[in-house]
Amino acid sequence: MKYGPAEMMVIALAREIIKSDLVFHGLASPVPMTAMKLAKALGTDFTYINITGGVDPDWHKPAVVGSTLSQNLYEGGVANFGLEEIFDLACNGRVDISMLSLVQISPRGEINMSFVGGDYDKPKVRLPGGAGSATLIPVTKKSLIWKTKHDLKSFVSDVAFCTAKANPNNQFRVITNLCIFSLKDNRLEVESIHPYSSLEEVKSNTGWEITQENLPYTDAPSELELALIEEVDPNRIRYIEF
Amino acid sequence: MGVGGLWGSDLIAQRPEFFQVMKSPFSDEEVVTVKALRPDWAIIHVQEADQYGNARILGSDFQDVLLSRAAKKTIITTEKLVETQTFQQEPKLTSIPYFLVEAVVEAPGGAKPGICFPNYKTVDDTGMKAYGQAIKECKFNEYLTKVIEERDAK
Repeated sequence: MKYGPAEMMVIALAREIIKSDLVFHGLASPVPMTAMKLAKALGTDFTYINITGGVDPDWHKPAVVGSTLSQNLYEGGVANFGLEEIFDLACNGRVDISMLSLVQISPRGEINMSFVGGDYDKPKVRLPGGAGSATLIPVTKKSLIWKTKHDLKSFVSDVAFCTAKANPNNQFRVITNLCIFSLKDNRLEVESIHPYSSLEEVKSNTGWEITQENLPYTDAPSELELALIEEVDPNRIRYIEF
Repeated sequence: MGVGGLWGSDLIAQRPEFFQVMKSPFSDEEVVTVKALRPDWAIIHVQEADQYGNARILGSDFQDVLLSRAAKKTIITTEKLVETQTFQQEPKLTSIPYFLVEAVVEAPGGAKPGICFPNYKTVDDTGMKAYGQAIKECKFNEYLTKVIEERDAK
């Protein structure tokens, strides 16, 4: 079966979820949403919470819109658990995985979600801000940062503003359309490169020096994973982010 | 109040009027503290309310309940006005009690072009674009007139 970056990223995120994890994603997150549905379809027994407050919504029902604030993430759930409660739960050390994105990231795991150009009070571009990232990243056991466009604009040696910073005591991974990074000794290192990409492509799209060599490829999607993605996302909402 | 998270964020230094780091009174740990926000008004749209301001949020409540507690005064707009008896039968379903509420406005469709689950479940994309465009062009009143005309024509 054919696949591309959307399937590879969904699968890479889904593979990070293991039995009895409690996993959160927020707004504007079609790729994480599809990953959650895929992990459920693969039979992983975990708790799916999200920004609508829905707890374990009915994952069999395919999403029809890209918004992850829709009824699709609420209906069929067993409880309502609001965002402020999710933040408290995370501060209590009880959120295993948060899936969050970035506008800029540095090799030290500093994420900018605040502004680009100008200064904080008079920015050229005001970004969404960091309520979720700044609060959740330091206290989530494993932060999974996804970015569908791995390029020199986003993967920079220094961020304009550090909205949120990786906690070196917790796990921190960045999953892109080209590769997977993992934070080791306070520095992002390439863990694997997706089968259709190359070390050269990763290097030329990353704004800091990558000295690693002979890196492994990410395991290619299995037939089962690809078939189940189609089943949980027949409307191909996952492509909206690409 | 003290919060978890935020460590390493430039937001702390950027906004000292909202964020301060203090020594915990209970241990030697440092704690990030956040200033409590006290809005003058909260305006909250709900599915059901009675004439006194008792209100039920039947879908996601996001920060609405919290907002009603933080604000000095709250205005409820509601899809439907119901009898107080409805609340007496299921008091645990009341999200916002009347004593926090200053005024109640019956406003069916009041969350459009957004969502008011389960009354209307999907965002009206065309409406959202028209709204965004109207705001950009400072034509909110024209937009509102058109929305009301279209609603009344139905």
